[in-house]
Amino acid sequence: MNIGEILKNLWNDSGFHLFGGDSGWQSIVMIIVALFFLYLGIKKKFEPLLLVGIAFGMLLTNLPGSGMFHSEWWTVENIDYVDILRHGGLLDILYIGVKTGVYPCLIFMGVGAMTDFGPMLSRPSSLILGAAAQGGIYLVLILAAATGMFTGGEAASISIIAGADGPTAIFLTKTLAPQLLAPIAVAAYSYMALIPLLQPPFMKLLTTKKERMAVMTTTRKVSKKEKIIFPILVTIIVSLLLPSVAPLLGSLMFGNLLKECGVTERLSDTAQNALMNIVTLFLGISVGATAVGSVFLTTKTLLIIVLGLAGFVLATICGLLIGKLLYVISKGKINPLIGSAGVSAVPMAARVSNTVGLQYNKGNYLLMHAMGPNVAGVIGSAVAAGFLLAVFGA
Amino acid sequence: MSGYILGAILDKESPLNVVDALLLALIGIAIVFLVLIALMLIVSLVGKIFDGSAKLQEEHPEWGEKISSFKAKLMFWKKPQPSDEQPPQLAKGTCGELTLINCEERDAAMIMAIVADSLNTPLNELRFKSIKRVED
Repeated sequence: MNIGEILKNLWNDSGFHLFGGDSGWQSIVMIIVALFFLYLGIKKKFEPLLLVGIAFGMLLTNLPGSGMFHSEWWTVENIDYVDILRHGGLLDILYIGVKTGVYPCLIFMGVGAMTDFGPMLSRPSSLILGAAAQGGIYLVLILAAATGMFTGGEAASISIIAGADGPTAIFLTKTLAPQLLAPIAVAAYSYMALIPLLQPPFMKLLTTKKERMAVMTTTRKVSKKEKIIFPILVTIIVSLLLPSVAPLLGSLMFGNLLKECGVTERLSDTAQNALMNIVTLFLGISVGATAVGSVFLTTKTLLIIVLGLAGFVLATICGLLIGKLLYVISKGKINPLIGSAGVSAVPMAARVSNTVGLQYNKGNYLLMHAMGPNVAGVIGSAVAAGFLLAVFGA
Repeated sequence: MSGYILGAILDKESPLNVVDALLLALIGIAIVFLVLIALMLIVSLVGKIFDGSAKLQEEHPEWGEKISSFKAKLMFWKKPQPSDEQPPQLAKGTCGELTLINCEERDAAMIMAIVADSLNTPLNELRFKSIKRVED
């Protein structure tokens, strides 16, 4: 027995030695990025439920030699799922849920079970604000095309970051540009976490003090029957108009129906707690796993990060501008600050509207009023994604 | 023109050009607005129907009674179902025949006590025929 040979082989097999390979520096950079995200998630509490999972997945996938995720298996035309189940690593197997679009739909089911559409139903004009904020998506589509670096599918996937809707971004990207899933998912969730920092400067810049102080009155009471009818109606109408969005929107509305119908409390509870937690766990870690250094560290990634940021800002501006228009039309009865909540980051964007409103008029609680455009934004971004899927997914 | 645009868009290899992106953006935002405005109209309509129906019932309580009697007639003609054949639940310990419909005994006792108190009449001088929980 040659002890020296054994030790040498052990060293050659170790991740430390593999760092010296061609993509070793990229792995080291990604591990540093993963540690930074862990810091943001744990210490700064930036969307920790997702960011901690994404960061840890990123860390695991960039440890050389661990074999937990094989990015090359997922970029081929015909994916061999049986082979993946036989020989894949843990993260490969968890990633099947992302690749098949199961996780985003299950997340939407949980979101639906947690969402109260009451504020939107009591003030239907909220839907206009939800639509307006989607302007950011299409402005980013134009910007992405202007760079000349992205195909239609890639540009569409990047543009959906502006919808501020993580599951929709993943759902669209896994179909149109799977190779960009990691940077797009990371950008979408990171900016969602940064909404309290990103939106207020533009909210203050684009509105006057008088507008920010506008008090909104309570709207009509929504009956239980209306709340039950709404998810059924939306599912039928939107899915008939844009069938490609049926899995996402159908899941969202099914979750909501479980909550509202009053006879499926157990299922509603499971959808919004146990199921949501399990899927968030799997989604976070497997999305993070796609951030393999050799694939992630490119000029395109940097551009995606910049375009995503532009998208969030543009979506906020579009929502605010239409909010100002509604302020004028309603003769001051609608506070334009709720326009920025039209981006679909629920409920962060609505909370930001409330916080900024309270800064200028103590006692003016806008949270419930802002929840209307906020949940309308979820529907709006799903519709936008359905359109992009219909065009580029053909 | 449309053929050219679609051809360029569906070409997955070549970059998307700005003119096509602009056209798509216009169509896309128009569709988002159309769908959400359609939903807004439907939501408003449904809301008006529900509000109107509640208002009508307030203004014309006799219509509500007519509807109830019509429903009762319908129930009379309805073929008895196994669940319908179950005898009505009688409140324990009462000499009368109080029928509880979707109502717990505890709730019924509370209601009877409240009614007796507000009428300032002893409970044994009142006769309750039935107590029914009205769904929202």
